[in-house]
Amino acid sequence: MSDRKTERLLNLTLALLATKRYLKKSEILSNVLGYEGTQETKERMFERDKDDLRSLGIEIEVGDLDIFFEDEPGYRIPQKSYELTVPELTGRELALLSIAANYWNDSILAPSAQSGIRKLQSLGVPMTFDFDFRAQYRFENPTALLDDITSAIASKSQVSFSYDSASLKLRHLEPYKVLFWNGFWYLIGRDIDRSDIRLFKLSRFVSPLTIVKKKNQFVIPEGFNAQEHLPSENLEIARIAKVEIRKESGLILRNRGSILSEGEEFDTFQIAYENENAFLREILWFGASVRIVEPIELKLSLIALLQEVIR
Amino acid sequence: MSESALDRTARALDLVPYLLEHQGISITELAKVFGTSEKQINEDLILIHMCGLPGYTPLELIDMYYEDGFVTVSDPQSLDRPRKMSRTEMSSILVSLDLIKSLRTDEIGSEIEALQRKLQNNLEFENPFVVVQELRQQPVQKILESAIAKSAAVEIVYLGANRDTRSERKIIPIEIYIANKIAYLNAWCETSNGDRTFRLDRILSCEPIPGRALVTRSERTEIDSGANSIILTIDKSARNFLEDNRAIINKIDGVDEATVSLNSIDEEWLIKTVLGYGGSIRVISPEAISLKIADRAREILEIYGENSGKTGK
Repeated sequence: MSDRKTERLLNLTLALLATKRYLKKSEILSNVLGYEGTQETKERMFERDKDDLRSLGIEIEVGDLDIFFEDEPGYRIPQKSYELTVPELTGRELALLSIAANYWNDSILAPSAQSGIRKLQSLGVPMTFDFDFRAQYRFENPTALLDDITSAIASKSQVSFSYDSASLKLRHLEPYKVLFWNGFWYLIGRDIDRSDIRLFKLSRFVSPLTIVKKKNQFVIPEGFNAQEHLPSENLEIARIAKVEIRKESGLILRNRGSILSEGEEFDTFQIAYENENAFLREILWFGASVRIVEPIELKLSLIALLQEVIR
Repeated sequence: MSESALDRTARALDLVPYLLEHQGISITELAKVFGTSEKQINEDLILIHMCGLPGYTPLELIDMYYEDGFVTVSDPQSLDRPRKMSRTEMSSILVSLDLIKSLRTDEIGSEIEALQRKLQNNLEFENPFVVVQELRQQPVQKILESAIAKSAAVEIVYLGANRDTRSERKIIPIEIYIANKIAYLNAWCETSNGDRTFRLDRILSCEPIPGRALVTRSERTEIDSGANSIILTIDKSARNFLEDNRAIINKIDGVDEATVSLNSIDEEWLIKTVLGYGGSIRVISPEAISLKIADRAREILEIYGENSGKTGK
């Protein structure tokens, strides 16, 4: 029955929180409700309960009562380490935090965001909503690995995992940060085999995460900036294409290019593009209404792509 | 489903201080806030009621009062303050604050920054998350947001991609959402008498229609679903198709070459999209679509004067 255990854990927490001095183990076992059975059973119960409370993040301080009781340690939960201390929040700030907590809908981040916000709402600050967020955000749900990854980052432990790339390989990594980039989740860190910073998409992990038990195996370099390691499309130099667009067609392309000359059936436009594949897809969308004039390489890529289709 | 004693303990420890600041809250509301059932909350309350400090006389027990489904706490004993937030609780809120900040350019963005500084000063750990959101702000967004707030109608000029048209439409904006790097608008379109989705960057102009309020709208109409299944094989090189179109993908099998089944979608959309990936996406079924794609490819090759070989002449 989980009732009795829950009750005992609650009583233990209440007692250790209420005391200013350390409580002797014998005092706890005889006074806190729920410790029953032989001395040995009670002691084993108490050891387990301490571990359980610690796993909830509750700090139990162990101290010597005084010099005469050296062999019997005392216990207490310092109020300061137990309770939430955040700087004075305004009602508006609390409302902002609630909106933030609700952003995760039903993804795996939602339960912790929700329990976090409940604690903030127990501080006695009334919320004031005087703004609206109209833009919703649709994102990839983080995988269950997220928890393991953030705890490996916290303990600075190396991780390994199989990753689905050109060849399926086991990767060894010093995990630095979890990156949420345009709605997708990545792990960024130092690839130990390659001795270089690498980026891994969480959805392409094909094994659970193995975390090395040792802690503090590495330090994240001072001033590490994940953003500098992104393969940014913006860094690709924009190129200019010359294309012919049939009259009354390809409206989206017309809108984003500039007209060079008008013709009978086709008008000629100049359009900037960054990523060749993306641009080819954009052009192919309009079928036979758009024809590439230059660059020649772009035109040849398009023809090759189409010949693939009919092959 | 049985819950561990530990999970229950954690909830009970959080329930007491929450009740203290929400005196007279209903059990229904509590169940909603704590994401559990009313039955569970009832059981938790009975349990908490029996806990307290050594001595366990009425004076030392948590003093709580519940009647007709409403709860009041008069003495929480030593549980008067909320527990500190865990690393995951704090960081899951910090990451969404970051996200909201990156989506806003107005004064709320700087307000969030100040709030984050306030919280971070107090942080006992490093925030493991970094948020990078690239989104070109669209000038029409402000007008649309205020129209949504007022349920007001607007008139837009829109470039439609599927049928390559430019149209004037009277719409009632419902919701703006951002997916990948693109902002979309869901709206009731009076002109076509149905729900439509628009890309913000393809709205050429947007004017409020004065004095127009919400008209009765029909329920959301889904594109006819499930009639015939669409199956594609997708090569690794086209894997961003999978990522960009999560919303319509039903099922994925295979690693090197994925076989994907899609929910019903617009045929023209499918043809145009698949064509853009060259040979890396193949339509297995329906075969008719795969033939149409090949025809379209030949048609385009012709404007380049390329002999496509199989034109049947």
